[in-house]
Order: sequence, then structure tokens, then C-alpha cells
Amino acid sequence: MQYENPQIPEDINTSKENPLKEFSVLLVGSIALVIVVSLVLSLGGSWLAGLIPYNAEKKVASLYDVSAHDDNSDHQQITKYLQQLADKISKAQNLPEEMKITIHYMHSDTMNAFATLGGNVFMFKGLLEKLPNENTLVTLLGHEIAHVKYRHPIKSLGGGIAVSIAMTTLGRSADSQILGDTGLLSTLHFSRKMEQQSDIEAMNTLKALYGHLNGGAELFRIFHNERAAMESKEPAEFFSTHPQDEKRIESFSDMAQKKGWSETGTLTPLPDFYRNAFH
Amino acid sequence: MDQILIVAVLVSLGYFFGRRAEKKHFISLIEREKVMNQLPAMASRMPPQDNRYEQKLVSGNVVIANDYFKTFVAGLRNLFGGKISTYETLLDRGRREAVLRMKDQAQQFGAELVFNVKYETSSISGQDSRKMPIIEVHAYGTALKKL
Repeated sequence: MQYENPQIPEDINTSKENPLKEFSVLLVGSIALVIVVSLVLSLGGSWLAGLIPYNAEKKVASLYDVSAHDDNSDHQQITKYLQQLADKISKAQNLPEEMKITIHYMHSDTMNAFATLGGNVFMFKGLLEKLPNENTLVTLLGHEIAHVKYRHPIKSLGGGIAVSIAMTTLGRSADSQILGDTGLLSTLHFSRKMEQQSDIEAMNTLKALYGHLNGGAELFRIFHNERAAMESKEPAEFFSTHPQDEKRIESFSDMAQKKGWSETGTLTPLPDFYRNAFH
Repeated sequence: MDQILIVAVLVSLGYFFGRRAEKKHFISLIEREKVMNQLPAMASRMPPQDNRYEQKLVSGNVVIANDYFKTFVAGLRNLFGGKISTYETLLDRGRREAVLRMKDQAQQFGAELVFNVKYETSSISGQDSRKMPIIEVHAYGTALKKL
């Protein structure tokens, strides 16, 4: 009997094709898949979360002792002043009865302010001390309260959770502590569209309370100058959750022109105790 | 961002070094097979009946680690399904190398044929799917030497 082992041609069991080709096709495909899935889930999640009644949101938020993290008790005068302004703005924005805004003053140098679940709005000393007048302060408060009005915190949380679950399933970032304390107290990322919506509501508030838009754009000039001072370049708009500062400053003029509102007018000064409150 | 950079470096290192090693291995496999084909290895379970033979178990064993590039491509492939060509070359190399080593042993024994050849393939990297696969291929058969 004749036994033989012939030389087997090379491209039968293996492919001659450069694996880089398969790599690039797969990479582009999976990135596209992740983007599409995140987009759909984020939109779907935020839409579903928007259907949650506000009272249910308030109940969830009340599970966390938010007040334990603020400095309201040590700075009662400023807190009271901010709260009064917030109540005035809530009225101007026609907030529903159950949507009660609670101001939390943070005696910290962080230059920030944010709204989170359950109508809790955090205002940081670092930003408050840079505001020149009440009009600018109302713009800031009006913007944050508008986030609550349009349910942005719960919507972005809903979208975030949906994407996070999907990504965990895909084996990527294992962010399992989705609803931890950090979820409620850390700044939630609102989308650019949400920011624009809140900006417009802030303008309406300014007009309703003072009859003009003067002092509003100043808020974004402060942010802009601060960034310039820190020499940190603004991220390109696509990568940023907020619209670029200059666009936001312009949007005040655009709005004034469109509606025939005045951009000049008397600025209301901040009360005397305001400056002292920060020392 | 840092993570993406680390992965990119690992993937490129895996690609360049893995591909170089693979090319070299295939060249060496083809060369050695040309010589070793003179000693046939058959899957048949029936030994030739024409002569009397001395019999000996011969085996060849090889362990090959995957590179990061191959693992990365396979991970992406997992999302969509389909053949994983980067693993096909890995297993092809493993099988052929194992047979060559088995034949080496048979040749030293002075055999003229290895029959009843079988393969065992296993992953020795454990069950953790995030780990880089390491494969072991074991080829064994019965070597026959004319008495």
C-alpha cells in the first residue's frame, strides 16, 4: 500500500487576506453600532424617564439626604435670599404647584451651579461671588430652574442609565453603581439642546422680572473670561455638553432682536450683605 | 482617552510583532513539511498488513499565545458573528507544528509511517473570556518501524 502526505495549498485553511482589512471593517462597524445604539437608547431612555410623574421623582430624590451636603445652615442669609429669588422665578416660569425648588448653597470655590433630581438646585460660592448684579444672578437661577421645569435631570439620568446598561452588557465600562449617591449629587450631563432650552427660558424670566435682557449675556462672558484666564481651551462644540460661550452670548442679542426686547435697562444691584456672605 | 491610546499601542504592537512571527512561522512550516512529507502520517486506524512492525506512540505538542491584535479583532467579530480569520491562522499553525514535532519524534525512532493520528486542541488560558487565548495543540499517533 502507498501512503502519502501531499503539500496542502496555503490558502485553503487560512485566508490570504490582510487582517487589517477585516480589522478596519469591524472597527468602523462596531463604532457605528455603538453610536446608533447609544443614541437610540439615550433618546428612548430620556423619553421614558420624562413620563415618570414628578412626585415619583421627588420621592426618589428624598431617599437621599441632600441637605446633609449643603452649607445652608451656616449661611442662612444668602440661602434665604437665593431661595426668595428662586420662588419668584418659579412663579415667572409658571412652575406647577408640586415643583418646589430647593436652593442648596455650597460654600466652595468651585465655579459651578447645577440642578438635579427633585427640584434641588446647587449654587456654589465660586460662581456666585463673580456675579455683578441681580439680573445676572437671575439668569443663572432661571437657567437652572428651567432645567427642573423641563425635567432635564430625570431625562438625562434615564438616557444615561439606558446607555450605561447597554454598555455594561457589551462588556465595556462596568458602571454598575448607576443610582448611587454620586448619581444624584454629581453634575448631570445635559445635552446641548437642553441647555439651549434652558437659556431661552432664562431670557423669558429676565424679561418677565425686569422688562429687559440687560445683564443676561454677562453670565456667559464671565464663564468665557474665566476659561481664558485658566488658559483652558473650550472643547469643540461637538464634544461639549454646553453650547459654546460666544454662541450663547449672541443668542441673547438674537432673542432681543427677534422679539423686539430691549438689551439695555437699569441693572438691579445685589443686596449689601451679598458680598459679605462669601467671607 | 488614555485607555484608547493604550489599546491602540497594544493593538499595533500585536499586529507588527504577531504578524512577523506568524509569517516566519509559516515559512518555516512549509520548508519543514516539504522534508517531513517523506514520512507520511495517516489518520487511518488500520495499520498496513504487508509487514511486521515495531510500534511506538509518538506525540508532538505545541503551545501558542495569541497576540493582542488577533484578540481585539476576534472581540469585535463577536459582536457581528462570522469566521474569525485571525484565529484560523493561529490554529492552523498549531496543528501543523504539532504534527511536525510528532514526525520528528517518529523519525528519530526510525519509523516509516505514523498511523492513527489524532489531535487534541485546548485553550489553557482558562474560562475568563477577557484573557488572551493561549492554545495548546497535541498531535499523537502510532509510529511504525519495519522489523
